[in-house]
Amino acid sequence: MSDYQATNAASSGISVPKKNLKALMRRSDKPGLIWLAQWAAFLLITGYGVYLSIGTVWHWPAMFLYGIFLTVPSYALSHECAHGSAFRTRGLNEALLWISSVLYYEEPNHRRFAHARHHTYTWIEGKDAQMPFATPMNFKGWLLEITGWALYVYETRLFIRNALGKFDAEVLDYTPASELGKLKWGARICLAIYAALIGMAAVGIMWPLWFIIIPRLLGAPVMLLFTLIQHVEMQENDVNICKSTRSFSSNWLGRFLYMNMNFHIEHHLYPMVPFHQLESLNAEIKDQIPQPDPGFIRTNLEVLQVVWRRSMGGSTQAASIRQAPHMINTPEVQEMS
Amino acid sequence: MTNWVLACDTAEIDEEDLIRFDHEDKTYAIYNTDNGFFATAGYCTHEVQHLEDGLVIGNVIECPLHQGRFEISSGKALSAPVCEDLVTFPVKVEGDQVYIQIV
Repeated sequence: MSDYQATNAASSGISVPKKNLKALMRRSDKPGLIWLAQWAAFLLITGYGVYLSIGTVWHWPAMFLYGIFLTVPSYALSHECAHGSAFRTRGLNEALLWISSVLYYEEPNHRRFAHARHHTYTWIEGKDAQMPFATPMNFKGWLLEITGWALYVYETRLFIRNALGKFDAEVLDYTPASELGKLKWGARICLAIYAALIGMAAVGIMWPLWFIIIPRLLGAPVMLLFTLIQHVEMQENDVNICKSTRSFSSNWLGRFLYMNMNFHIEHHLYPMVPFHQLESLNAEIKDQIPQPDPGFIRTNLEVLQVVWRRSMGGSTQAASIRQAPHMINTPEVQEMS
Repeated sequence: MTNWVLACDTAEIDEEDLIRFDHEDKTYAIYNTDNGFFATAGYCTHEVQHLEDGLVIGNVIECPLHQGRFEISSGKALSAPVCEDLVTFPVKVEGDQVYIQIV
């Protein structure tokens, strides 16, 4: 791997005084436990709505709302626990990595190693293990991504192959040989859990269907809209994280659901800084990094406009979000010249 | 053949911290912990990341890129994604100077 340079703060020309960085890196259980209690409260409230709505026309909207609170935080917590930074206590990180990853639909050990590779080589083609969509993205690619279809196909295949011990070349590349057994048994345990949930629904035990399976499927697009805008339309094959990655503004609900990962440039520059310190990290380095793009809805709408116009052969210049130069195509200007 | 090499002054490393030390074509990490000074190989055994900006917590160094942990005194890998131990090097302090023994 010596022919590649890791993507990090140094490769991006960003620096923070060491004492300040060490203060930001400090682990703590308290913020994670508070976040966990808030998540549980949201799930109880919205889950009660699902319970009350069974048999009414409100059942599906209630499952959608509950599904957002189930799915987006599952993804965010799995991510933070894979970094080992959600909690100071390692056991808490590991236990919640398992629970949240199973909900998110990814084997926890694979999650850890694939995501580590994503950080080492952020959007370096052929090296980044977590950038599945083709770029520049068109509308079909966008649809496959945000419906969750691409994720389900990829993960299902991976679950089966890993459970059988038939590891893909890329899995072998980013997973230490000593950990492959954990991947295999992790995949088998996950598949057993999923089979049990589906089996319960099949024999008429409906709570897994109403409170896990359908809400997870309904919440997936919202989760995937969060993850999509982290890197889409940005620069591939550049070790400067400020060019490959996007931060975006967010209100308190978005920051809660996504565990502050709207500060995504900040997170990639210093992945050891826990979620509850990212706002402080932003204050420390905001003069060295690009301004965040507009909020979650605005950024996603602009991405959708861009990919739609790209599919229709129109201009792909976004109104306000950051784009890599080669993502921008202005055919009408070219014709005039 | 072994030889002791002057790595740094003791005052160059803050308490519960580490610095990078490059010598010939090798890179090392020199630590100041509650239990004294230690030295290990400078790069994480997982993936291309120097430990220089890592977090020292007691006798543990946490890699800044993926948060894998090693025991500083023994180099033992403690938590995934790191699985391979760090090589360690003997250290001695003479006056206010830190020396490491390089094979």
